[in-house]
Amino acid sequence: MASTSEVHAALKVVDLPDLKSDVVSLGFIRNLVISGGAIAFDLALALPQEVPDSWVQQQKQRCEQAVRQLDGVTSVHIKASASVRKPGASQRAVMPEVKHVVAVASGKGGVGKSTTAANLAVALVRAGHRVGLLDADIYGPSMPTMLGVNERPQPASDKTMHPVSAHGLSIMSIGFLVEQDTPMVWRGPMVHGALNQFLEQVVWGALDFVIVDMPPGTGDAQLTLTQRAPLSGAIIVTTPQKVSLIDARKGLKMFEQVKVPVLGIVENMSYLIADGVDGELDLFGRGSAAIAAKELGVPFLGEIPLEPAVSASGDSGVPIVVRDPECRAALAFTALAARVAASLGADTKSKQLETMVWQA
Amino acid sequence: MASMSLLPAGVRPVDMSQDGPGVLVLRWSNDAVTQHQVRSLRLACPCAECVDEWTNQPRLDPESVPADVHPMRIEPVGLYGLQIAWSDGHGTGIYTFETLWSLAAETQDKSPSE
Repeated sequence: MASTSEVHAALKVVDLPDLKSDVVSLGFIRNLVISGGAIAFDLALALPQEVPDSWVQQQKQRCEQAVRQLDGVTSVHIKASASVRKPGASQRAVMPEVKHVVAVASGKGGVGKSTTAANLAVALVRAGHRVGLLDADIYGPSMPTMLGVNERPQPASDKTMHPVSAHGLSIMSIGFLVEQDTPMVWRGPMVHGALNQFLEQVVWGALDFVIVDMPPGTGDAQLTLTQRAPLSGAIIVTTPQKVSLIDARKGLKMFEQVKVPVLGIVENMSYLIADGVDGELDLFGRGSAAIAAKELGVPFLGEIPLEPAVSASGDSGVPIVVRDPECRAALAFTALAARVAASLGADTKSKQLETMVWQA
Repeated sequence: MASMSLLPAGVRPVDMSQDGPGVLVLRWSNDAVTQHQVRSLRLACPCAECVDEWTNQPRLDPESVPADVHPMRIEPVGLYGLQIAWSDGHGTGIYTFETLWSLAAETQDKSPSE
């Protein structure tokens, strides 16, 4: 009578070159029962992707042949099955009931992208839209601070969670899930995996807009977001300085490459308004972004003044549009929101193709 | 004919379907229809494993691809391409809409109106 180790040794010839190993080492042989000359086991193939049934049958036959060669074996009974084990292999729809997903991006950090995203979102709420805000700035999530929320999202099911509510917004931030002073020390593939999971796990429900606060730059995280979030368009935030505009151009080119329509460029910190300052003080070269937008052939969406109340407001957890809706900066954000809503119109987002399963 | 190999701006596939076991049919937003032999698509995989990313030299030996290779699943990638999980276990290539359009242009006239 054959022993368990003999059966395992025999089955090791059934190698799977794609997985660079054999069925025994991969743990695909389960529930082995040896009863005299009769051998039964399960062949549970956990594979990175779906395979044709004929391939499964072929592996089953190879196992059977291998075991039959052992001395004293009279019958072999194998139950073969295949499952897909790669997480996210079969993609779940991201934000299926959201009409428009808008990315707020910048080439360079520190230009006020998150401030713009937060105020744009609350300005859209004030205009009567149902709005979500996704803080996807994994390296420096700022929404918990800017919106004054820092609670754990409530689970919706085993694998999903509800966004957190504040200021009339549905909010999700990677900052809700990690300790505030823990840095994300991640390489590209981890960023990709984490963002994908994050995108799939949030139950947004039916909304008119989800504003995505993108991480600055044009790296792995941005690419994943453009691939997986069904973006209707992107807004590029810049300041008037040349260093900022150069990077804004790069951000714009990235969106062009991945076919996400650029709704336009916003110039933040256009000019200073402050107590003790006479009129509007041009600090960084007001108007440069409008010129750049013209050169690049994209709409210019407006100027946001530098007003000390804006950043104080953000630090206190209440966006300026909520705290002081009549101040110049708040009015500028409100005008921006109106332009964004108008440029997307009432049409729903460009319909994405659906995953297709091939019939062999 | 040369200009036809360039995808007009803003045009993208709006529907995918299958014509028999070996042909992928794409319908585009400008009403053009393209047909793609799936094995040719597999051989044209643009990923870094199949095409050297620095020299653009092909690295994939067509002999190593099964004659009956076919997609298992086709996923959209953002608004710019498709990713195909193949029956031979491969699946890293992203076929941009431009690539698909120009691959089709090499073999067929895709716009019946012209």
